[in-house]
Amino acid sequence: MSERRPEYDVAVIGAGPIGLYAAYYSGFRGLKTGLFDGLPQVGGQVATMYPDKLIHDVAGFPSIKGIDFVRNLSEQSKRHAHDLHLSDAVVGLETLSGAAYRLTTERGKTYVAKAIIVAAGLGKCTPRTLPALETVHSPNVMHFAPDLSVLNNQNVIVAGGGDSAVDWAVAASRIAKSVTIIHRRGRFRAHEASVQEMYQCGVRVIAPGEVTSYCAAGGKESLEVNVSSAGAEEIAFDKLIVALGFHSDLSVVESWGLGVDGFRIPVAANMETNLARVFAVGDVSEYPGKVRLIAVGFGEAAIAVNHAAAAISPRLSVMPAHSTNEEK
Amino acid sequence: MPYVISDPCMGSKDQACVDVCPVDCIYEAKGRLWIHPVECTECGACESVCPVQAIYYADAKGDNQDLSEAVEFFESVLPGRNEPIGSPKGAAKIGPLDSDHPRILQELAGAKT
Repeated sequence: MSERRPEYDVAVIGAGPIGLYAAYYSGFRGLKTGLFDGLPQVGGQVATMYPDKLIHDVAGFPSIKGIDFVRNLSEQSKRHAHDLHLSDAVVGLETLSGAAYRLTTERGKTYVAKAIIVAAGLGKCTPRTLPALETVHSPNVMHFAPDLSVLNNQNVIVAGGGDSAVDWAVAASRIAKSVTIIHRRGRFRAHEASVQEMYQCGVRVIAPGEVTSYCAAGGKESLEVNVSSAGAEEIAFDKLIVALGFHSDLSVVESWGLGVDGFRIPVAANMETNLARVFAVGDVSEYPGKVRLIAVGFGEAAIAVNHAAAAISPRLSVMPAHSTNEEK
Repeated sequence: MPYVISDPCMGSKDQACVDVCPVDCIYEAKGRLWIHPVECTECGACESVCPVQAIYYADAKGDNQDLSEAVEFFESVLPGRNEPIGSPKGAAKIGPLDSDHPRILQELAGAKT
């Protein structure tokens, strides 16, 4: 295998709260850092599952909203420059000669790093889809619309009943030709105010409704929907947003040789896994006495980065200088 | 310790919890739903969406009937089945079960008569 100079001293896998803090800390130690996540945004579980909830058990914050907490961590992580790779999950980890590791991402890119910090939480996040769409590959079927303007003057269907589905429907209603939301239950589990807004902004609401099949003919795409009261109906769309949440699993990590035990990666007291210079922190790691809290995960990130620093550079000690010594 | 589901789920089986569980660890049985005590990652997403407030965090200390029944549900051989459910790591993989914990089956039978 051809050798390549490592791009990174440290590659952090997972940009949740703990991965963001590990990236900050790695930069603080003067290490060249890459941060990777499969989702299009940072913040992991906090950003996807409880952005609007108040968190009370993080040191220094009597209470802070999830999304504000993520924003602060993101800002802190940028204090020292690092490369942020979003929407491209790390799926492969190989040992290279010369004390380096090669990462392969979902999009087929490769990176070489001297040390790895796995902060993968519950594992790789995959958007859920509808059974009728499992084998469908259409550019008009999406889980996110990174640029809302793709919905301009389009006939849009949103599938789902949670906050993100309702938010998409409301946002789309301002620019789309038509918006239909399909939820398989009668009750939406989104903020009451958002649900009310959805009912008032011209969105056609089919709830309960079940998508039974997908059809594409003559360049037109449509869904067959079982509408509870009215039987089957075919609804054409230009863009379909499937917002059914995520499913996480560690199966990609299982092939990395880290001795994954069920749902966790076992680590030693310095957070190192069974592979040298590969560390695991946060929800994904396991050791005797583990307590799964953000507060603890931050400590684990600092332990891992400091040990990674000492392991990859003979100049660096495990114990860092005080951050208060930095000039600004 | 994991989250557990309690009996108010019977008669509801709303499944909003199933929709939000990021690890697909909520299994549907004949009478109600069950959270897998080992597969649960304690994220708490299910607790807030349950329309009948049947879900709560099971404290490790002291006896908890909901938790011990959840363990029995997955580890023992349920009526009409040949083997324990074990840990399938994904409820969608096995689909709804036609059986349930013996106590729930008794309550279902009682409700019919």
